[in-house]
Amino acid sequence: MIQVKNLVKRYGDLMALDHLNLNIQDGEIFGLLGPNGSGKTTAINCMLSLLKYDKGEITLFGKPMSPSNYESKEKIGVVLQNVAVFNELTVYENIDYFCGLYVPNIKQRRPLVEEAIEFTGLTDYRKFLPKKLSGGLLRRLNIACGIAHKPQLIFLDEPTVAVDPQSRNSILEGIRELNRQGSTIVYTSHYMEEVEQLCTRIMIMDNGKEIATGTKEELKSMIRTGDKLTVDLYELPSPLLSEIQSITGVLHTDYSDNCLTAWCASGGHQLIDILDLLRKNNIRFGRAFLEPPTLNDVFLEITGKQLRD
Amino acid sequence: MFWNIYWKRILSSLRSKDMIIWTWAFPIMLSTLFYFTLTNLDEESLLKIIPVGIVTDAAFEQDTTFQTIIDTVSEPGEDQLFDLHRVDNAEQGDALLLQGEIDGYIQFKNKTPDFITKNDGLNQTIIKSFLDNYLQTKSSMEKLMTENPSALHQTASMFNREAFTKEISLTENPPTDTVNFFYALLAMVCMYGGFLGLKSVSMLQANLSPLGARRTMSPVKRFRLITCDLLGCITVHFACLLVIVSYIVFVLGISFGSKSGLVILTCLAGSLLGVSFGALVSISAKLKEAAKTAVLIVTTMICCFLSGLMFSGINYLIAQKAPALSWLNPAARIVDAFYCLYYYDTYDRYFLNIGILLLMSLVMFTMTAFFLRRQRYESI
Repeated sequence: MIQVKNLVKRYGDLMALDHLNLNIQDGEIFGLLGPNGSGKTTAINCMLSLLKYDKGEITLFGKPMSPSNYESKEKIGVVLQNVAVFNELTVYENIDYFCGLYVPNIKQRRPLVEEAIEFTGLTDYRKFLPKKLSGGLLRRLNIACGIAHKPQLIFLDEPTVAVDPQSRNSILEGIRELNRQGSTIVYTSHYMEEVEQLCTRIMIMDNGKEIATGTKEELKSMIRTGDKLTVDLYELPSPLLSEIQSITGVLHTDYSDNCLTAWCASGGHQLIDILDLLRKNNIRFGRAFLEPPTLNDVFLEITGKQLRD
Repeated sequence: MFWNIYWKRILSSLRSKDMIIWTWAFPIMLSTLFYFTLTNLDEESLLKIIPVGIVTDAAFEQDTTFQTIIDTVSEPGEDQLFDLHRVDNAEQGDALLLQGEIDGYIQFKNKTPDFITKNDGLNQTIIKSFLDNYLQTKSSMEKLMTENPSALHQTASMFNREAFTKEISLTENPPTDTVNFFYALLAMVCMYGGFLGLKSVSMLQANLSPLGARRTMSPVKRFRLITCDLLGCITVHFACLLVIVSYIVFVLGISFGSKSGLVILTCLAGSLLGVSFGALVSISAKLKEAAKTAVLIVTTMICCFLSGLMFSGINYLIAQKAPALSWLNPAARIVDAFYCLYYYDTYDRYFLNIGILLLMSLVMFTMTAFFLRRQRYESI
């Protein structure tokens, strides 16, 4: 559905996109994950032909994307990072306006608008002006304006920024439902949990470059880091920490705030070994649990920095 | 499609507080202010009755001709020139003069009326001219009686100021400075349509607003979007102009002449011009929206200043000294179009103005549509 080859975009000396390659299949929820400034929004704006780019090819629905490719534009829905609605029009009028740009016939449009209002949970707010809506409701209106015409391809650029957890869950569930109804989704976020929950395939970006692409399982299997062991301890002498560090398969350790954290190699079974060692040294411990590696671990291992930085 | 974009543009414009303040409330407030400030100007320019004293001593009583004439010009009525204050002597005249009740007084000296005053001014000049005129005529009569007594019967007509010419007005309505200020005010309101045009085009540019990005991504051609949008703006702005003209005519009682249809046509042309101008400013200047608004305000105020909004007559001065600037100033063309309708009974100059306004609007709209077409941005 979307093919991007060797996309290069520069802002002066800054390389915003560095030979980016992308291939998104029909029916996917494709996530672009990366810290702020990694090039996610720039990539989307180039794909939508809003931004000029220096080099590369972008194909949507099998045709080169350009500002005058109205045939492709008809099949696209856009939910931008910043809320893009008319402040002087009500919720219903806004959705009707944007849907009307794709569906001129008012009789065909009316049920679509109603469906979008219901889908985004705005039924009680249809006569409200945007300024009367909370941040979460405003985001939902932003989404409703982008999806009311039932597009085949939807670009969602950080749609959950500054949204309360309840609205966020509602938005994420809505996106899954859109995908179930047949839309292909391109989703950008710097919230790794969201991307991990939602996306069928993920590209991790940093400094305009592709770091890694794959399903979340594929991404996690690319790194040495396996489970992360956390044990609550009242005290841990330094020699013992060194001893834990020397256990085979323990990659590195940390003890702070009465909490021991040990990053273990993937496929290892170090939990028993570490707990045995603590017992042998008469160290009393509280909770102990294992966590599978996250996308942040993937990002950390590949780039040497936290995704949240 | 057209109706959706057009109608929503009208709705959003009508609900915009900025738009209501700058294109409706502000001009109505300013026109009311003009009304209270300027309507006395015309009345003050009319000749007022001049208070003058006359010393009714023996010399005055002997000159029956002068008595008849001064009584005639002091009779109450439309042609009354003097408000005559009769005093017995010069002391009483001086006292009235000091009190400011009269502009001067007339006293006979050596059988000749003389004018005594303490100040110089228009009224004093008129009284002096009146006396000079009287003395000149009297002298002519005396000479005629001496040299040709048989022509005595003709002397009576010498004091008659019979007009042998008929006064006709060159203009359809009487000249007045007041209406020019209201024309310039309307020109300003027309140019304020630029705010609507600017806002509308900003909301079509992805680098200026998220709304612009979303609309740019729609499958509607930019030309169609901009046309529907600007037509919506023109509709709202034109309605606003009609309300303001109605307020000026029916509430403030300022006349725009009898050609109502052409006044409406001028408003429409002005609205087209204003909205197109704002659209062109928005598309051509590579600035943020606030900076573009500043450019628009400055340009509008310069155009309005040169068309006589702040100083009456500056438009005529510009037309004489820099005619090209006058012809290219859209505000001056709007003022001139209203002026032609009020004063002239021919339409050549009026339609020339309207033609220029329409041509300017077309050029600006075409340039806007051309620049906007397939626009992509270096950054958003």
